[in-house]
Amino acid sequence: MLNVAAQTDSIRQLNVVEIKATRSLYFSSASKFQLIDSATLERYSNNNLADLLAHESMVFIKSYGLGSLASSSFRGAGSSHTAVLWNGFNLQSSMHGMIDLSLIPANFLNTVQLQFGSASALWGSGAVGGAIHLNNSNTFNKGISVYSNTSFGSFFDKQQQLSFELSKKRIVSTLKVFNHDAKNDFEFTNRAQYGKPIQRQRNAELKQYGLLQENYIQINQFQLLNTRYWYQYSDRQMPPSMTQNVNVSIQKDESSRFTTEWQLNKNKYSVNVRAAYFDEKLYYEDSLSALFSKSHSQSAIVELETKFSITKYDMLNIGVNNTNNSAYTESYNKRYNQNRSSVFASYRLHTLNLKWNAILNVRQEFLNSQVLPFTSSFGVDGNVFKYFYLKLNVAQHYRIPTFNDLYWVPGGNPNLLPESGLSEDATIAYKQVLKKVKVELEAAAFNREIKNWVIWQPDVSGIWSPQNIQEVWSRGLEYKLNVNYRTSKWEVLVSGLYNYVLSTNQKSVSANDATLHKQLIYVPIQNSQGNFLIQYKGTSISYNHIYVGYRYTSSDNKNYIKPYSVGNVRLSHDVVLTGAKIKVYAQFNNVFNEKYEIIEYRAMPLLNYQLGLAIYFNEKNK
Amino acid sequence: MKTNKILLFTAITFGTIFTSCKKDDPEPDPTTPTASTTYDNGVFVTNEGPFGSGTGTLSFISRSGAVAYNDIFEAKNTFPLGNIVQSMSIHNTKGYIVVNNSGKVEIVDGSTMASEGTITGFTYPRYFLGIDNSKAFVTEWGTGGLAGSVKVVDLVTKTITATITTGKGAENMVKVGNKVFVACGGGFDNDSVVTVIDALTNVVDTTIFVGANPSYIQVDANNNVWVLCKGKQNATWTALEQTGKLVRLNGTSYSTELSLSFASTSSQPTNLVVNAAKTTLYYNYSGKLYAHAITATSLNATATINRSFYALGIDPVNDQFYGSDAVDFSSNGKVIRYTSAGVTIDSITVGVIPGNFYFK
Repeated sequence: MLNVAAQTDSIRQLNVVEIKATRSLYFSSASKFQLIDSATLERYSNNNLADLLAHESMVFIKSYGLGSLASSSFRGAGSSHTAVLWNGFNLQSSMHGMIDLSLIPANFLNTVQLQFGSASALWGSGAVGGAIHLNNSNTFNKGISVYSNTSFGSFFDKQQQLSFELSKKRIVSTLKVFNHDAKNDFEFTNRAQYGKPIQRQRNAELKQYGLLQENYIQINQFQLLNTRYWYQYSDRQMPPSMTQNVNVSIQKDESSRFTTEWQLNKNKYSVNVRAAYFDEKLYYEDSLSALFSKSHSQSAIVELETKFSITKYDMLNIGVNNTNNSAYTESYNKRYNQNRSSVFASYRLHTLNLKWNAILNVRQEFLNSQVLPFTSSFGVDGNVFKYFYLKLNVAQHYRIPTFNDLYWVPGGNPNLLPESGLSEDATIAYKQVLKKVKVELEAAAFNREIKNWVIWQPDVSGIWSPQNIQEVWSRGLEYKLNVNYRTSKWEVLVSGLYNYVLSTNQKSVSANDATLHKQLIYVPIQNSQGNFLIQYKGTSISYNHIYVGYRYTSSDNKNYIKPYSVGNVRLSHDVVLTGAKIKVYAQFNNVFNEKYEIIEYRAMPLLNYQLGLAIYFNEKNK
Repeated sequence: MKTNKILLFTAITFGTIFTSCKKDDPEPDPTTPTASTTYDNGVFVTNEGPFGSGTGTLSFISRSGAVAYNDIFEAKNTFPLGNIVQSMSIHNTKGYIVVNNSGKVEIVDGSTMASEGTITGFTYPRYFLGIDNSKAFVTEWGTGGLAGSVKVVDLVTKTITATITTGKGAENMVKVGNKVFVACGGGFDNDSVVTVIDALTNVVDTTIFVGANPSYIQVDANNNVWVLCKGKQNATWTALEQTGKLVRLNGTSYSTELSLSFASTSSQPTNLVVNAAKTTLYYNYSGKLYAHAITATSLNATATINRSFYALGIDPVNDQFYGSDAVDFSSNGKVIRYTSAGVTIDSITVGVIPGNFYFK
């Protein structure tokens, strides 16, 4: 399995690990990472990625409500400043730069890794605040496995998941399907209406289904081939905000994503060739506004890279990437095409025991015929005083304007420059294993500037148009505590996270600009989280608590919404039989009935639950 | 020993976490009034509010004061006005606040702002015009902002009683005698008419073609009607294929007496207002404020104020100009006051996107 510990594994194991790893592991060891492992993902099997990250990480998830659009903010950056990489391929939309995290089912993923800090030299445009790595991996020779998971919950939430896996000595083939329906007609107090009436959420129904098919073939001792196909359809109604009386709009999202990768792993070098084709359709209909909008985008990505050592103290990776994006919507006056080529290289110097590493990453991207800013990062990481781990990283970043920014009629501005800037961060961790207790403490500090931030504002003739006008300075502190006690029967886990992030506008656009040095809207200054889990044999109870501080809703920080605290409880019981495992679980969200809004006047549900049954069956190969 | 070390380290870390939990409570806004404040002798400013799911607000600037009372509706009624507050009028001592994206009109006491009910059932309503003690007209853009109508409202039952179809994007209205002139600015599409309605019978009298997208309308001292047409964008929104126009209609015969075209193919004229004597009109064009005497037969080349405004008003009491600046459309806006000669008096912070004035 791919995990952070693999970073410190010896070079001899490299070939084994390589099968599943992208270059992130080797050349980002100076970045702060958070791994969400398969055990955690299993606890969130009937949730989407937005729920998972809101509960298990300090990435701020800006959600419009249950099952609605959810985007991410890393370290005070914007929603298009997070690279979301599915097995190394960027899923950010070429049209608007975002991806709706509520459309990614957690059970389609094997691990999720969060990389904090800028990583454009490794991942290209968009990896500004951080990167979310969504990984699929597999193990050969496990036999035949069947997994089913069914859950029912509040507001007519129904989910079914089914997986089949055939794992032979040299071939693994898996198929996962899911189906999810919900009415989401929860009750809430409408504080925006006279008398603050209790209302039932309207127009909030969703229907989603999808499949993921993966194949892994060990061609011979050195070569591995894989293919993945991910299809998903989502049909959602868009609920009104509390200040709107009615909303009848719907949104349909349909995506097909195909990837393939060939790996050659020799002792002295490795070669990877990977390709992807993404097709994304979005249909938005608001019959009240008589708005019927269709958009359709495609991306074709080809990447080639090779990795080798020159001496026993180093590792070099060189690669090229070509990405072709194409998109059309009625609001562009034609279909636009964008061709992006990049050359990238990474060099890591390390001590023989791998305790100390120094890494340089560089990337040069060309957009159509335009030369984009050269991007690099340099980092050092190492182990001091036995239990302490230190990481220092300095990175340049950039984000190219989206198709909407460039081509939208009216207002699109084809002369926009890429956003760019520099980030620095330092992480210190203390890790100690004491018999049955494992303790991990981590503190990180970061500093980042984003120049030429694209903002839409009316121009002189009153037409909304994007300009490179904002300059944003973000800085903050992040703390983490993790204590784990484990015996053969018991497991106790206590963890806490706390973030303090300032993300302020540094550029005055007008005289006496009241937004100067003010926090960006919807970036909480403080948030924290606690997790407590206790498990005895196959029975566990866990409690998760989230606190999100004030969020400003106007750029001069005169308007804001209140902090909120939400508690969630989960109970789970496993019954292990020969060759099979049955899991019964119950999830209770918002157990203290907190009335809260993530986005102003967007209702969130009070106490709600999900009950589920998962059955796993495995028959080993003979 | 080792366990102690871990405990110590844990304690230090938690200590650091809690001490760094800085209090970040925002300060209360000193411009929010108490619930007992009354609002007379001044101007109401409707603030559209942030786009998306937010709420608009209502501000009040007294003629003698140098600061505004902000968010006066919620301060009195403890609930917000709703999404995109478009405009306000006072009719028979009651305030009628038109909330565009919430499709409603909030009724308040014109002095205390105490809520007196809501009229619902509109689709993108824009402006309110009181006709008599029991009747009012409300313009709306209709479905998709692609239609246009005047809704007839019964002020006693607070319900919509009839719909009068007009040109697309019914906008500002003026009343001359018993006739109501409705500027039809095109909404999210284009149109070029003024619809004239008989206020006694609620029937359309006639439709007058004036010029592309007439959004602003005023009556002068001679009871003639002035219409400001914004012009029409080409298909790619790169230039105006029809430039703006200032048109004078005879208030009784409806004939077009004067039609003056603006030269610019990029700038659209906006914000037509008239002074207290109703002898001079003012409008924004090309980033400036221009005057137009009702006797003039050509457009003025010299500006009165070298600045354009998001919304514009003239105080009928003293002819002072009120111009609004929406700044970045995401923070509190400003209202700048000028003397009738165009000399700056002061600048006052109001709510997010100040879009209309009502002088009381």
